[in-house]
Amino acid sequence: MDASVVELRNISKYFAKVIANQDVSFSVQKGEVLALLGENGAGKSTIMKCLYGLYRADEGTILIDGQETVIHSPKDAMAKGIAMIQQHFSLVPAHTVTENIILGNVRGPIHMKECREKVRRIAEEAGFEIPVDARVRDLAVGVQQKVEIMKALYINARILIMDEPTAVLTPQESETLMRFIKKFAEKGNSVIFITHKLKEVMEVADRIVVMRDGRVAGNLRKEETDERELSRLMMGEDVIPAIRTDGEGTTSGEVVLDVQNIRVGGGKAPVLLDGISFQIRRGEVFGIAGVSGNGQDELCEVICGDLPLSEGKLLYCGRDIQHDSIRRRIDAGIGYVPVDRYRDGLIMNMTLAENMMLKTSFDKKWTRRGFIDQKKLNSYTQDIIREHQVKAPGPDAPAKSLSGGNQQKMVLGREIDVGSTLIVFNQPTRGLDMGAVNRIHRAILEEKAKGKGILMVSTELSEIFALSDWIAVLYKGRVMGIFRNGELSTQQIGLLMAGYDLEKGGGDEK
Amino acid sequence: MLNVLSRAIMMGTPLLLGALAEVYAERAGMMITAIEGIFLMGAWGGFVGTYISGSAVTGLLVAIGCGVITAAIYGVITVYLRQQQIVTGTAINILAAGFCAFFQRVLFGIPTTPLQIKTLPKLAIPLLSKIPWIGEIFFHQNILTYLVYLLIPVAWYVLNKTSVGLAIRSTGENPQAVDVAGMSVSRIRFLTVLLAGVAGGVAGSFYSLGYLGMYTSGIINGRGWIAFAICFLGNWSTKGVVLGTLVFGLADSISIYIQALSGGSAFPNELIIALPYILTIVLTVFRKSFNVPTQLGVPYSKEN
Amino acid sequence: MKNKIKDVVLFNIGAVVVGLVISACMLLFMDVNPVTVFSKAFLKIITDKYTLGEVLVKATPLMFTALAFAFTYKANLFNIGAQGQFYAGATVAVTLSLSLGEALPTPLLILVVLVCSFLAGGLIGALIGLAKAKFNANEFLVSMMSTYVVDAFMDYLLRTFLRETKGEYLQTDPISQNAYLPNIIPGTRVHLGFLLAVLTAIVVWVLLYKTPLGFRIRAVGNNASAAELAGIRAKKIYVIAFLISGGLAGMAGLTEINGVQHMLLQDFNSSIGSYGIGIAILANGNPIGVIFASVLFGLLSIMGTTMGRMPGLNIPASIIDLLQGIVMLCVIVAYFLRYYMEIRREKKKLQKASVEHA
Repeated sequence: MDASVVELRNISKYFAKVIANQDVSFSVQKGEVLALLGENGAGKSTIMKCLYGLYRADEGTILIDGQETVIHSPKDAMAKGIAMIQQHFSLVPAHTVTENIILGNVRGPIHMKECREKVRRIAEEAGFEIPVDARVRDLAVGVQQKVEIMKALYINARILIMDEPTAVLTPQESETLMRFIKKFAEKGNSVIFITHKLKEVMEVADRIVVMRDGRVAGNLRKEETDERELSRLMMGEDVIPAIRTDGEGTTSGEVVLDVQNIRVGGGKAPVLLDGISFQIRRGEVFGIAGVSGNGQDELCEVICGDLPLSEGKLLYCGRDIQHDSIRRRIDAGIGYVPVDRYRDGLIMNMTLAENMMLKTSFDKKWTRRGFIDQKKLNSYTQDIIREHQVKAPGPDAPAKSLSGGNQQKMVLGREIDVGSTLIVFNQPTRGLDMGAVNRIHRAILEEKAKGKGILMVSTELSEIFALSDWIAVLYKGRVMGIFRNGELSTQQIGLLMAGYDLEKGGGDEK
Repeated sequence: MLNVLSRAIMMGTPLLLGALAEVYAERAGMMITAIEGIFLMGAWGGFVGTYISGSAVTGLLVAIGCGVITAAIYGVITVYLRQQQIVTGTAINILAAGFCAFFQRVLFGIPTTPLQIKTLPKLAIPLLSKIPWIGEIFFHQNILTYLVYLLIPVAWYVLNKTSVGLAIRSTGENPQAVDVAGMSVSRIRFLTVLLAGVAGGVAGSFYSLGYLGMYTSGIINGRGWIAFAICFLGNWSTKGVVLGTLVFGLADSISIYIQALSGGSAFPNELIIALPYILTIVLTVFRKSFNVPTQLGVPYSKEN
Repeated sequence: MKNKIKDVVLFNIGAVVVGLVISACMLLFMDVNPVTVFSKAFLKIITDKYTLGEVLVKATPLMFTALAFAFTYKANLFNIGAQGQFYAGATVAVTLSLSLGEALPTPLLILVVLVCSFLAGGLIGALIGLAKAKFNANEFLVSMMSTYVVDAFMDYLLRTFLRETKGEYLQTDPISQNAYLPNIIPGTRVHLGFLLAVLTAIVVWVLLYKTPLGFRIRAVGNNASAAELAGIRAKKIYVIAFLISGGLAGMAGLTEINGVQHMLLQDFNSSIGSYGIGIAILANGNPIGVIFASVLFGLLSIMGTTMGRMPGLNIPASIIDLLQGIVMLCVIVAYFLRYYMEIRREKKKLQKASVEHA
């Protein structure tokens, strides 16, 4: 660890409405794994995009191998041996693995045979098993990430930037990735690892740069610090109020939702959900764990009425609702906080007030003599803004002007009112900072205390453990088992998430 | 019969040119909604260039120039200023119509007899044109048609087998991937728009130079849109577009044939005129398995 | 919010002025002094009552076609078939006026024609909406093509069933005076249709922004996926939205047949569809804004014809198209500039604030 391969000096980056980075300086050594730790929105990705040439920094300089370097575009960065894997992969789903890897790295006619061979060789060297001719859209997320890594290997990158690489992986897959990172750095390369998970940092990093509100809040060697200090630097406060489930297994309320042997797809279509059965009672949080893309979204859609089921029964308060329209289910008191609030939760171009009447646009309560009662709607919106501590200028503000956390609070506020009996949460805190996460967790538990039934899908195990009374693990559209919270270790859940049966494969675990 | 088929190939020539360019642009995420205007500018430019200089080559060059300038205006506004493609295209189509009509008057006033130019001669290809049927249909055409014959394999090869094609196809599917790979999304998109300007200019000039031998304000009359539609119906592939063009070329040709036959009779030849448009609607509605580029018509910006 | 509207208006006026200047310069190609010609034409319009009235007459159908585009545009749907829907409305209007011209009292007749021309345009629109809802067809392409089809169909009728009794030209007989829309400003051709258009614009605004149906239309247009999850059936909304949009364009058939031309002829008002799009853009899709933008386009158009009539100058009528095309492009560029400057301003503010802070 002698010379800095990359040094950032006083970088600032301004967006129209936020300061993304201010006066950020740090450096990366040869052979080093540097963790860039911080909450969502702390400016980690932005600073790395400046280094990679996707953004142009407004102030400051970048030094590579001690030389001041101007990076205009990723092309310049790649020429310097820098590669970056985006959080949302930048792969073309419709193209093959090989086509994705050679994109931008070939000129003129493409000799597909040679390219394929080269890609195969690199995969072998890295120890990846990758079908080079498969279309990316047919690959599992974990494999897609390997394709991204291979893009970096293909250009012989010596500085690899990875943005939240473990977000989509099972615990076991994460471990494999960590091993790869360590091996890659041992060869004299450098890795910058963006994350908000303390555990990973302590596992893999040599040095840690903590960012908060766009600035560097700490620059430490791993040996000199611990998780506690890091979390304080990251959050800016000493204690994180941990939320725990109150009361254990006291629930014996009536069954709100009874899912019986549900199947979606089959025949010519792929099977998305296969033989799923469970019950949710009043005052219970039923957590669904699993790597995303294993049928969670479909399960939520089936319950809310957006996806018809092919077989099975869906009983809501004892009544079969599988032929009810979405509108009728809303009227019956089923709330739904979708995973993608941009696509499904809010209409970004419309005002907050309009978004608040979205789910209940047929309800007479919003109209007077056929016209929308703007006053009533505004005051209702104002109530939600106040109650959930949303940072918003007012009911007239367009939804897109709010930050992600505040948008999510608006959705939450609306769905809590819609879902008078059952609320479905699909990854309710994805991409939010700790403050917002806390606020949302508390709200979920409040609704539970009111006696509502709650279904919560999450890919964050900590969230599952913190809130659920029951935990079911989904893998490839099947339930791998239903357990009481506390019955399973992280290790065991990880195995279930990867499709291993505990009875067969995991006998030694117990 | 042979006449109708031969004419179908001829009428298909400009449509195929336009549609191929449209495929390139749309695979990169750009709808060329200004295509009607580009065609018109090409038709006018081709006429003016030829009339003034007396040379068809000059006319062709002027047509290309007009097409490229029109496309460039469209490209700057939609790619670099990220404005709505449909809206911008509509404005450009109106502007092109006004521009051509206005400058036609500026240059030529109100002539007492229609201004004529010589149409491109039909060239019979030695040997090939002697093949019965085939020769008559395919190898008694003008130079532009032969050019398009050559263009088909080239267009297919470049789009599917070269780095340029890969970059174009990736841009329409996931521009971020292109950006991250160090290429400029905007430049790729703008270049495909310019390409459409060249192709559209030539295609437009076909109507004045290669077919009518004159210019009228209604010379294009929705043919640019037909090229646009062929791209959709051809499922964004070069092969599909060639097939689609044959269908529309045939429809166009039959319509001209029947109109000539039935002038003034009670036969509803308006139905025949409307045939290509009806065909488009029917095919658009009932055509399945669309292969739409995911980012078609969506402006790309990396900062917000 | 108030400031934003002010911004839009200011930038649009700026864009129109720039557009006018550019197109005025085009007159230099004709060896004509643009300043004198423009001021002469403008003077003529504001001093001559009849010509001034013509501005409103021109603006009337444009208001309808612009509303037709604006109605779906705000919902992110594209109905660019207003021309065809207008033809459908006009064909129905002339047929009814010819056949019922003497049979019904004027108010009742006008009402019948109004409803039917709305329905005729609406039917075409609804079919486009249905194609989108049922088959997920590209509404842009289908609506674009529908105009050519309707146009051909109208030509067919003009050549056969609706042809004038003399059988000389491709046009209908004139309709009975009984079917005329009443004149509202003596000494001009301004008819009741103008008031109807303004009223319609207001109704459209109320419908879009003050009723649950309008809310649902905008919701579906902006984000069909979220609207579906909210229990709104997007497919139904597509049909309704296109029906109303087409109907609005169809109503222009009434005002043009019964208010101005009193007969139907080939290539009748053949560019009000595309001008409607331009006007809707100029008004940023706002129905109230459409009223003013239409009058502006009416003014431009009359200026063009006035210039064309000036003796010895030979200015072609196509100057109108040129002018309107350039103005539209300027308005579109102004949209970008407004956005760009807003972003820059905010960024500068932020940069300054953070420097002071540090």
